[in-house]
Amino acid sequence: MEVTFRIWRQDNPTNKGGFINYVVDDLAEDMSFLEALDHLNEILVLRNEKVVAFEYDCREGICGQCGIFINGRAHGPHSNITTCQLYMRSFKDGAIITVEPWRAKSFPILKDLIVDRSAFDRIIEHGGYISAKTGTAPEANAILIGKGVSDKAMDAAACIGCGACVATCKNSSAALFTAAKINHLNSLPQGKPEAHQRVLDMTTQMEKEGFGHCSFTGACEVECPEGISIANIAEMNARYFKAKIFG
Amino acid sequence: MNLFFRRSIIAGTGLFLCIFMIVHLSANCILLLPEEIARGMYNAYSTTLRENPIIKIVAYLLYLSILLHVIYAILVTFRNRSAKPDKYAINKTEDNSSWASQNMGLLGILLLLFLIVHLANFWARIKLGMGASVGLDAAGNVDVYEVTSSLFHNGFYVLFYSLLMIPLGFHLNHGLKSAFKTLGFYHRKGLKVLARVSVIYASILSVGFGIIPLIVYFK
Repeated sequence: MEVTFRIWRQDNPTNKGGFINYVVDDLAEDMSFLEALDHLNEILVLRNEKVVAFEYDCREGICGQCGIFINGRAHGPHSNITTCQLYMRSFKDGAIITVEPWRAKSFPILKDLIVDRSAFDRIIEHGGYISAKTGTAPEANAILIGKGVSDKAMDAAACIGCGACVATCKNSSAALFTAAKINHLNSLPQGKPEAHQRVLDMTTQMEKEGFGHCSFTGACEVECPEGISIANIAEMNARYFKAKIFG
Repeated sequence: MNLFFRRSIIAGTGLFLCIFMIVHLSANCILLLPEEIARGMYNAYSTTLRENPIIKIVAYLLYLSILLHVIYAILVTFRNRSAKPDKYAINKTEDNSSWASQNMGLLGILLLLFLIVHLANFWARIKLGMGASVGLDAAGNVDVYEVTSSLFHNGFYVLFYSLLMIPLGFHLNHGLKSAFKTLGFYHRKGLKVLARVSVIYASILSVGFGIIPLIVYFK
């Protein structure tokens, strides 16, 4: 199949970027989107042109590296997937596919389709962990956790930090990411001792990083590869008020 | 002053305005009665409201709520704009969210325009005594019914009052459910009920406020 990739090219964080069209005519429908980009890059190498910079790691939907805005949607035209789970059969032969990096002030563009998501790391550094002595693994049944609680914590813990929530949000809000990380730990007994401080510290850092407000459009939960519910954001809000009052 | 504080102000004032509008619509229903009954009831009701000291406090709360709702919406919008300085070349927001949720600011501006005209029509004339003076009815109450009725016999105002209730419906539907979430209501099943309640609430208020001017016009 033949497609035209309309790709955002930007040399470095300070230069002004722009779209460049690349026609690729020997793609297979069963190629993943990232394989199609690989193929384009092979062509560019042979032509002695600069390859398109994009991020990836696992290519099996669990690492959260391959964040790309494709044809107006985070991770492409389907809901709740990563870019590596997108296949060329999702596009028509002859299609023009617009490929852009995540756009948010807090995610500055480094090169082409790669953005700096270290704002997420700094939010995690402000409480996205539990303070526990390292050593041998504790006995599994020492702390009993109900199935409901562990399921809920696991649903939130599924967040892979890809940044699609920020990318798709009209306000570049990091509320879904931060809420997932807070709720994951705060709903478990291991996270309870530092629960209030965690909410206050992580949300303060979220604010400092320059993310916008959550206005509950719900776009984030549709684009989230893990389908993390925006109810998590409402829960984070409740935890925040609780921490402010009792913390 | 942080993300939570700003959003909570908008949510809290919004919910207060939601409650106010239920009372407002209930009173508007008097206009549907035959004129001879409606005039007396409507004027007596509005006189009672103006003279009740508790309602005076509520009225000041109402002015404050509207002001804070608008001011904080502007502050929030500035921050949101600066958080997303560059837009996407293509952004299919319709695939992942409702139009209203993406355009609350635009809907809000339309409602603010409506409110300015609405306050000029009633509040400025009756409470501030601006414009043409308002007469008294047979019972000696200020004839607010006459102000309303004459306004709703003007085709331009009927269209203005009815059409602008469409953005009100969209604004309320998204606003009501979001306000609860902003204030920390996160019960999963409750949120589903809340979504339905928001649709019902917004429909009743939008259709109710919008249809009364038309009924008065054609009565």
